[in-house]
Amino acid sequence: MGKALGWPGALHAALTAPFTRRAGAQAAYCLLGFPVAQVGFALVLTLLAVGVGLIASLVGAVLGLALAVLALGLSRALAALQRALAARLLGERVTAPAQPRPSGGFFARLDARLRDEVGWRAAAYQMVKLPVAVCQLYAVAWWLIGAFDLITPLRWAVVHQLVGTADGASMRTISPFPGGAGAPHASSFAGTFLTAGIGALTLLAAPWFTRGVVAADRWLLHALLGPGELAQRVRNLEETRALAVDDSAALLRRLERDLHDGAQVRLVALAMRLDMAREGLGPAGGPVTDPDKVRNLIETAHRNAGEVLSELRDLSRGIHPPVLDEGLPDALATLAARSSVPVELSVDLPQEESHRPTPAIETIAYFCAAELLANVIKHSGAGHAVLRAEQRDERLRLRVTDDGCGGAALGTGTGLSGLAQRVRTVDGSIRINSPAGGPTAVEIELPLHA
Amino acid sequence: MPAMRIVIAEDAAVLRELLAQMLTERGNEVCAAVADADALRSAVAEHRPDVTVVDIRMPPTHSDEGLRAAIDIRREHPGTGVLLFSQYIETRFATRLLAAGSAGVGYLLKDRVANTAEFTEALARVAAGGTALDPEVVTQLAGGGRRTAEIESLTAREHEVLALMAEGRSNAAIAQTLVVSAGTVEKHVAAVFSKLGLPSSEDTNRRVIAVLRYLGA
Repeated sequence: MGKALGWPGALHAALTAPFTRRAGAQAAYCLLGFPVAQVGFALVLTLLAVGVGLIASLVGAVLGLALAVLALGLSRALAALQRALAARLLGERVTAPAQPRPSGGFFARLDARLRDEVGWRAAAYQMVKLPVAVCQLYAVAWWLIGAFDLITPLRWAVVHQLVGTADGASMRTISPFPGGAGAPHASSFAGTFLTAGIGALTLLAAPWFTRGVVAADRWLLHALLGPGELAQRVRNLEETRALAVDDSAALLRRLERDLHDGAQVRLVALAMRLDMAREGLGPAGGPVTDPDKVRNLIETAHRNAGEVLSELRDLSRGIHPPVLDEGLPDALATLAARSSVPVELSVDLPQEESHRPTPAIETIAYFCAAELLANVIKHSGAGHAVLRAEQRDERLRLRVTDDGCGGAALGTGTGLSGLAQRVRTVDGSIRINSPAGGPTAVEIELPLHA
Repeated sequence: MPAMRIVIAEDAAVLRELLAQMLTERGNEVCAAVADADALRSAVAEHRPDVTVVDIRMPPTHSDEGLRAAIDIRREHPGTGVLLFSQYIETRFATRLLAAGSAGVGYLLKDRVANTAEFTEALARVAAGGTALDPEVVTQLAGGGRRTAEIESLTAREHEVLALMAEGRSNAAIAQTLVVSAGTVEKHVAAVFSKLGLPSSEDTNRRVIAVLRYLGA
C-alpha cells in the first residue's frame, strides 16, 4: 500500500484491500498458524500439566521434570516454526534467541534447561497463541462469509432455476457476528441484494479485521519469541563494542600511515638536503665550493621544515582539537568560522562544569559536526547551513541543516555510516532527512555520559 | 668510486626525486625512478642496472611489495644488487632477504639516506656484490637467535669487529670506524675466524660464513 493520497486514495485503498498480496499473505498466516497453535497448546499444556502433577506426587519427580524440559524444548521448536511463518508471510523478522548449550553433570544440565527463560517464554506464547489463533481463524471466516453473502443473488437465481420457486422460501444471510444477530432472511430476489450488500461490507472489513488480529500476534511474537530485552541489549553492546574497537584500530592505522607517508618522509628529505648542503660548503676552513647550490638547498630545506610543521599540526588537530579544551561552544564556533559555506550557529549548552557532557561525548559531538559540515561543503552544493547544538533532558542534540541538493543517506559514500557507527557506540542516535532535491537535515542525539 | 647505473623504487615523490638528484650529482646514472614494484620489475628487466634502491612499503598494499620484488630481482638478475630501505627494521624481512645469501643485498633504515656519502658508499658496496646491513639489522638478528658457544667466546672488541663485518664493511672501513690501525683489525678478524673454527681458506668466503653464523642465518 502506498501513502495516503487524500480521500480518493483512501477509498481506493479500502476497496482494493481484500485483493492485495499482503491481505492474502496475512490470511494464509492465520490459516496455517491455527493448526500449529492447536498442536502447541494441547501438547505443551498436557506435558506441563502431567509433569507438574508428577512432581507434586513426589514419586516420579525426575520423570515430571523431564516432561517439563520436553515441553520447553517443544515450545522452542514450535517457536522457530512460528518465527519462520511470520518471516515468510508477514515479513516480520523476529531475531531468534541463542540456543542454550548447557554443560556439566546431569543435574546441572537439567537445572539449566529448567531455568531456560527463552523456553518458558516460548511456552507462554503457545498458551496465549491459541485464543489469538481462534480470533485469526474467525477473521479468515469473514472472507468466506462475505463472499458467500455477496453471491446470494446468484444463489437465488441458481436454486430457483433448479428447484423452482416455492412460496415462502427464503435465503439465509450468514451473519459475520456470532449467534447470527441481525441476519435478515431474504425472501425475494430483490431482498437478496440487501444480503449481497451485507456480504460486500463483510468482505471489505475482513482484511482490516485480519490486520488487527495479526498486529496483536506481531506484538506477542516480539515480546515472547524474541531474544528478550536483556539478550538484545547484550547483542547490541557486543556489536557496538566491536565497532568501537575496529574504529580505534582503524584510526591508529591511519595515523601511522599518515606519519609514515607524510612527516617521516619529509624529515628524511630535509635531513638529506642539509647533508647535501654541508657537502656543498666544502671542507671546513676552506672557501665555499658552490654557494648557489648551498643557498638553494637550504631554502628548500627551510620550506620542507615548514611543511612538516603544518602537517604535524593538522595531524595532532585530527587526534584532539585543542580548542575542545575550551568547551564545545568554542570548538563549534571555530568549526563554523572555518567553514567555506556560511554557517549560522546556534548553541544552547550549559556553562556550568557539572552539566557538561564528558570529554569523550564532546569529542564525538565535535567530530560529528565537523564531518557533517564537511559533507555540506563537499556534497550538498548548499549556499547556507545551520548548526544547532542544545542540551535538553540529559541529551545533547546536534542538528545540521542546509539548503543544498539533498539525497544524503547512510552508505552513499558520505561518511554518514562511519558517523552512525561512532554515535551508536555511546548509545546515541542519528536521524537523516534528506529527500532528493533537498533540503537536508541531520540530527544527532548523544547521551551526556558514554 | 666507479659510476653506477641505478634504478630507484620509492613511492614518495619527494624522496624519489631527491635521491635521483643526489645520486646523479655524485656522477652516477639513474636509469629509472619508479613508484611501485611492478614498474621496478620491468625497469630492471629493461635497463639491467648495477644496483637498485627499493622502498619496502609500496602501493598497492603498503606491506612488503618491495621485498618480494627484491628477492625476485636477485634470483632473475644476479648481476643487479638490491638495497632495500624502509622506515622500520623488520627482522623477518631481513631474514627473508638473507635467506638466499648475503651477496649483493643491503637493508638500511631510511634515515641513513641523510648521510649521503655513507649511503652512496653502501650502495656501491652492494653494486659490487657486497653487503650493506643497517647496524640495527645486525643487532636484531645477532640478538634474536640463541648464541652459540663459539660466538659467546668472542671478546667485546671481537664482537664489535664482527658486527661491523656483518654490516658489510671492509677491514679498512672497520679500522676507520674503531679508530685503530688496519693491522689491529686484521688481528681481531683472524681471532674471530679461529674461534669460530674457520681455518684459512678463501678469505672472503670465511668472512661470509662468519657473518652468517653471527646473524644466525
